[in-house]
Amino acid sequence: MNILVCIKQVPDMEDHFVPNAAGRWFDEIGLVWRMNEYDAFAVEEAVRLKESLGGEARVTALSIGPVRVVETIRKALSMGCDEGVHIDDPMATERDPWQIASMIAGFAAGRGFDLIFTGMQSEDRSSAQVGVLVAERLGIASVTGITAFEWQDGSMTVERELEGGRKCRLGLKAPALLTCQLGLNTPRYPTLPNIMKSKRAALTVLSPESVGLESPKASSENFRPHEPNAAGVILEGDAETLAAQVVSILESRTSVLGPGGVR
Amino acid sequence: MGATREIFWNTGHGAVVVMYLLALVAIGAMAQGFRLRRSIWRRGKPLDRADHPLRRFTRFLADTISQRKVARVQDGGLPHAMLFWGFLLLLDGTLLVMLQRDLLTPFFRFNLLSGDFYKVYSLVLDLAGLLALLALGVLAARRYVIRTPGLESTPADAGIHLLLLAILVTGFIVEGVRMASTELGDNPGLALWSPVGYLFASLFAGMDEHAQRAAHQALWWLHMLLAFGFIAIIPWTKLRHLATTSGNSFFEPREPKGTLPAVDFEDETRERFGASEIGDLTWKDIFDADACMACGRCQQRCPAYLTGKPLSPMKVINEIGSIAASAAENGLIDAVSRDAIWSCTTCGACEEICPASVEHVGKIIEMRRSLMLMAGEFPGDEARRACDAIEINGNPFGLSHASRCDWAKGLPVTVVDGGTEAEILYFTGCYASYDPRNRKVAESFVKLCAAAGISVATLGKAERCCGEPARKLGNEYLYRMMAESNIEAFRSAKARRIVTACPHCFNTLARDYRELGFDLPVEHHSTFIRRLVSEGRLKLNPPTFSATYHDSCYLARYQDIVDEPRLLVQAAGGTLTEMECSGKDGLCCGAGGGRILAEEKLGTPIVDERIRMARKTGASTLATACPFCLSMFEDALKRQGNTELKALDLAEIVARSIDRQ
Repeated sequence: MNILVCIKQVPDMEDHFVPNAAGRWFDEIGLVWRMNEYDAFAVEEAVRLKESLGGEARVTALSIGPVRVVETIRKALSMGCDEGVHIDDPMATERDPWQIASMIAGFAAGRGFDLIFTGMQSEDRSSAQVGVLVAERLGIASVTGITAFEWQDGSMTVERELEGGRKCRLGLKAPALLTCQLGLNTPRYPTLPNIMKSKRAALTVLSPESVGLESPKASSENFRPHEPNAAGVILEGDAETLAAQVVSILESRTSVLGPGGVR
Repeated sequence: MGATREIFWNTGHGAVVVMYLLALVAIGAMAQGFRLRRSIWRRGKPLDRADHPLRRFTRFLADTISQRKVARVQDGGLPHAMLFWGFLLLLDGTLLVMLQRDLLTPFFRFNLLSGDFYKVYSLVLDLAGLLALLALGVLAARRYVIRTPGLESTPADAGIHLLLLAILVTGFIVEGVRMASTELGDNPGLALWSPVGYLFASLFAGMDEHAQRAAHQALWWLHMLLAFGFIAIIPWTKLRHLATTSGNSFFEPREPKGTLPAVDFEDETRERFGASEIGDLTWKDIFDADACMACGRCQQRCPAYLTGKPLSPMKVINEIGSIAASAAENGLIDAVSRDAIWSCTTCGACEEICPASVEHVGKIIEMRRSLMLMAGEFPGDEARRACDAIEINGNPFGLSHASRCDWAKGLPVTVVDGGTEAEILYFTGCYASYDPRNRKVAESFVKLCAAAGISVATLGKAERCCGEPARKLGNEYLYRMMAESNIEAFRSAKARRIVTACPHCFNTLARDYRELGFDLPVEHHSTFIRRLVSEGRLKLNPPTFSATYHDSCYLARYQDIVDEPRLLVQAAGGTLTEMECSGKDGLCCGAGGGRILAEEKLGTPIVDERIRMARKTGASTLATACPFCLSMFEDALKRQGNTELKALDLAEIVARSIDRQ
């Protein structure tokens, strides 16, 4: 059994984001990086499946990005993946989902993966497109946002969450691509012997072109950091004073009371 | 008639030869017993605990003869010391008899046991026997009449009590009968030098001489057999503590307190970390189990045990002992139980009080290392998330590393950018950097430094968690990542001297980082501020207030800093009332041992017990010197709705009393 897990390295969301020089995306200086949370669910589920199958399964972890993503690939290896593939692409953060999917599909085509796990979306770009695009390009079934997974010898039952906490259960056959949602599992903490092994493991490094990088379908034009809401004003006093204060605020800061307004 | 006596009076022809043969048998049985014990100890890994043998031996001798450690807790400890001293003198007396009869008399024709020396000898031995008898009575009363809680008794305990009683009583009867038949008539003046013997002698004075001699001979043999029996069974029963408990004084660690064994991450062949089976522990860990006499003192002081958690340091040691003595290879962690292993706050109260020099905490850490490094187990999911956050963000809260020095904005602190010329580098720590309550401590600290004319710098976002909570949870790898990153940051900042307000950071930087080649002077703010005050650099104009001081475990027990914080509270106007446990006997707040990162789900909150003690003092201020303690107290006081007691850090107490004139 051959399993592929696609992982992305993202900045920690607690970090401060400022636009980069081009203003199209955020500046990377001073950010700390980690494995995309949803991808950690994907790694964990793949490794659990492998462990339940005994020795006959292999899990390949793939990540696209500059050299820094090697650390995240090693993290996946330390969690139990067998092989690491690094598509060395310094431009990865600028790529649109179509391009990322083209590279993953280019790598996966012909390698006979029975199952592909990805995160439901990335924490930074949040397009939630890469998984389904890969499935489409490979011509295999896909289910997004799974919260439960059960393997039964070639076919599987998965569960996904719908609006309002409703759930639905689906059955499908391999090969398939599943994108993983919070609630699927709790990713393991790597053991030290596995961390040590992952540090020594050799990775397969590929260029974007060699796996079929295509031109973008969309481009990011502008990035703005979170704009904090203006501070609220708390008025105090009796009803009379409050009303007068409200009127004066409406007059000074809005046009609702002016010509063409409600009056 | 001179003051002396005939050695081996009335013991019969050839008795001495038989006695020596029996002595050899007894010693042989003892030696064989210890050989078997040694094979159990050797199931553990090698560890050098015999360096500086002379210093070790001196400590062993001083600890053993003074009975310092056991007598420290007088209840039980004092009668134990009396029993020991009594038997030690009786043993010395017996050896003197041997010396006299088999060396001095045949080879030197010199009678040491005569004249005034013999009189004193008789008196001392009589009183030693009496002392031992009384002590035995008190110990028996404690065990069987008062039934001291926590003191568990087995049938073997009763057997040993009876054996000791029988040895002492038969000794006195043998003496009494001999005196009735000899001294009482021949030399009554001398008889008075054996007051207890005299009492026994008067009981037998009316017997006819034939009966006296027959009874004496029979009881002499009985007494001798009992004494040799005692020697023979030492290694086979709890009496082995005569060698192992005292011997453990010899084997005590010589490293600074709390030093944990290093893990070699360079060794790429290593596949096992921590202790999950008996062979992962050292021989000393197993020897400790033989040194433990289950007195229960550790258990009575263990914050986890006292608040209903499934941890007794004593039982941990006993479990290790029973696994080592069984054929079991693994199952160490299941036997001790995960809940017990994770409940430890590493406060060190157990080791501090242990009369047998047992090292409890290191064993628990080794088992945690196994759980953490070999299985990725945590005391709870929240602790796993905190460790993830430490790894990524450098703090357990998962907050941005970039905002680590936001607290310093507008304060007299420079954030290191390149090198620093500041007098001190303030290692702020995670709590003072991010936790709103502890940020006030950081503010107070830099303000009082400014008032004293001390320039302060911080590493800013180059500072990361010192790694202590992770290390105490067994996550040695994460600790090492943090340590190496901080050491590098100190180097590139060209820091000269570091001060920290956190005892956990302090202990880690000042001790644990040493083995990683870090050698800058590190000080805790309590001693640092105390010096500023005593040197007159900080002038205080204090308000008066009532206070009690809570000792941080890592200051008092680990670093022996007990007086300075108290002097500081007093200098800042505080009138101190001590809690029922204080100083090195203080009770942990519950946050040590990485527990600050984990929820306290078992038993009742440890911090509530400490607040109960603080409230009993009637003080209005609960003074602390540790951000973990302060956080625990703040949370608990809020939860309890307590407004009478206010928890403050030393820096805050001093800062508010600075003379602004």
